[in-house]
Amino acid sequence: MARTISFSKALNEAMMQEMERDDSVFILGEDVAKMGGDFGITSGIWDRWPDRAFDTALSESAITGLSCGASVCGLRPVAELMFADFITVCYDQLVNNAAKLNYMYQGEASAQMVVRAVTGGGIRCAYHHSQCIEPWLMNIPGLVIVAPATPYEAKGLLVASIRNNNPVVFLEHKHLYNVKGEVPEELYEIPLYEAHVAREGADITIVAAMSMLKFAHKAADEMAAKGVSVEIINPRTIFPLDKETIKKSVAKTGRLVVVQEGPKVMGYGAEIGAMLGEELFEYLKAPIKRVTSLDTPVPFAPGMEDYVLPHYEDVITACNEVMAY
Amino acid sequence: MSLSKEHLLKVYEDMLLIRRFEEEVEVYAKNGTIPGFIHLSIGQEAAQAGVVDVLKDTDYKFPDHRGHGAIVLSSKPEERKRCMSEIFAKATGINGGRGGSMHVHDLSVRNMGFNGIQGSTVVTALGTAFNSVYRKNDDVTVVFMGDGTLGEGTCHESLNMSATWKLPLIYVLINNQYAISTHYTEAHPQKQLSTWGLGYEVPSMTIDGNDIEEVIEVTQQAVDRARRGEGPTLIEMMSYRWQGHFSGDPAAYRPDGELEAWKEKDPLKITKQRLQENHGVSDAEIEAISERVETEIAEYVKFSLESPVPKPEDAVKYVYTDREVEGR
Ligand SMILES: Cc1ncc(C[n+]2csc(CCOP(=O)(O)OP(=O)(O)O)c2C)c(N)n1
Ligand SMILES: [Mg+2]
Repeated sequence: MARTISFSKALNEAMMQEMERDDSVFILGEDVAKMGGDFGITSGIWDRWPDRAFDTALSESAITGLSCGASVCGLRPVAELMFADFITVCYDQLVNNAAKLNYMYQGEASAQMVVRAVTGGGIRCAYHHSQCIEPWLMNIPGLVIVAPATPYEAKGLLVASIRNNNPVVFLEHKHLYNVKGEVPEELYEIPLYEAHVAREGADITIVAAMSMLKFAHKAADEMAAKGVSVEIINPRTIFPLDKETIKKSVAKTGRLVVVQEGPKVMGYGAEIGAMLGEELFEYLKAPIKRVTSLDTPVPFAPGMEDYVLPHYEDVITACNEVMAY
Repeated sequence: MSLSKEHLLKVYEDMLLIRRFEEEVEVYAKNGTIPGFIHLSIGQEAAQAGVVDVLKDTDYKFPDHRGHGAIVLSSKPEERKRCMSEIFAKATGINGGRGGSMHVHDLSVRNMGFNGIQGSTVVTALGTAFNSVYRKNDDVTVVFMGDGTLGEGTCHESLNMSATWKLPLIYVLINNQYAISTHYTEAHPQKQLSTWGLGYEVPSMTIDGNDIEEVIEVTQQAVDRARRGEGPTLIEMMSYRWQGHFSGDPAAYRPDGELEAWKEKDPLKITKQRLQENHGVSDAEIEAISERVETEIAEYVKFSLESPVPKPEDAVKYVYTDREVEGR
């Protein structure tokens, strides 16, 4: 039965119910046990399973390294990175260890772990607590990057990520934590590697992940009022990307606007643009447009941060431009 | 502690197997048959053979890049030739040729393989050790590391966590004096690197890594402590690699006479002497061991040379557990 709960609660429920079901699942990270995590996402887990929830030292390499080793033994660690930005201090463990284990072990064992990483800007915390890190991981074959945009996805994708045998970096956008939505009480999985057509349309395809989905929906409504029909694709898994769903949509609409929170260079927008240029050139009716942050670090002062992050008006401008071309 | 005659004979044979394995690998690396770079462990046989001797098949072993010896001895006898053919990049290799010298693993004996990033396995090993605690069994984890590798930040994180959580983890730090060309005294302020562990309240000691009896005794104590749930140990084993950092490195950074002095402390020579002087082992017995090892090694080499190479297109296999990656 579905109820309306928050994105945070949906994540918490996914972990609790998976831990109930499978005793190889455990959580670890900084302040995740007794306190329930900096954002409260793991609250209640330690109370319920004191032997399966571990507060660690500030040691992201040890947290992720331990997760790799424990995975190979058949456990299913769910580690938390308090802020996704901190991935740099355990980057090696994800890139050179987790991502390679299945390849190295030829399928005999793999890093069946989840690293939950709190991502994104807008909370006025400046350049070390606001970044979109997915481009740092998107050319590492072996890794999976999952990016839910709704409470329903938060639960279903986290469950699927925990059960998946590949190393998953699970991006939780901090602006989504308080968003509410319908979420089934029972356990369910949303398949990885499948993009979701969040809205059907005929004239423009907007690809948008995580908090950017909100912009896409708003823009679709606004464009609809002008008689332009927008199709929205939410990738859900950012890497490996579901190219087919995106191609199918753009083959129909002939126009693409990518909305991406991080800097413009080498984001998912760049990959989608290159892929369509290669594979769908003759279908394109207009140049591809990207609405992104500026290519700067994320600044602190609210006015400055807002200046850098993607602007809603730019989505509308991009839609108008691809229609007018 | 001194080992029984039988035990000492067994580990002497183990060490000789490593020596001869490495010598053959060197020949084929130098003549170009083996691709890539090779780190030989000649001179460090006692540390590897001694540690593996103490461990069970179910204990987790993380060899390092200079770990052919630990790898071969961890393997089941019938699989040992496949360790060599892996290094030869052959399809029969224990990892199908995709790993090579630095990545020979065999999960059936819990040889977890190496990671080319120094210090990485030092934190991965936390996970297997953690598993033993989580699953409430008494398997221990051993991670091999070098003096240079101790400089990596992961080593601090690992010691801190294993000590705090009392994980059954044994750090075998083979101090062979050098990290490539840099002497350990140029990279660390301590005279003995084992003192690192003391800051984390990890029992730590420095031993003669060329004395297999001492290696076995001290490793056994560390393993026993770990199995009892008393946490990690750091053992610094003093030793020396006779070759350069990689096969082909002339090692011009070593002072004259250093290698010769260490050859006097050859672990094989010392052990043979003890066998003969303390246990009355005859030349003929020693000769019989050599012959057995020669036969073994000749078989590994023949197998490696005759094995086919892997299918190139298999390179796209095993990127993910549940999806294919496009080939050419
Ligand atoms: C992170 C990282 N830095 C550097 C290297 C290159 N490298 C490989 S082995 C080595 C020296 C290691 O020295 P030590 O730990 O003493 O082991 P030894 O080679 O003496 O057995 C270096 C610098 C590496 N593989 N990984
Ligand atoms: Mg060294």
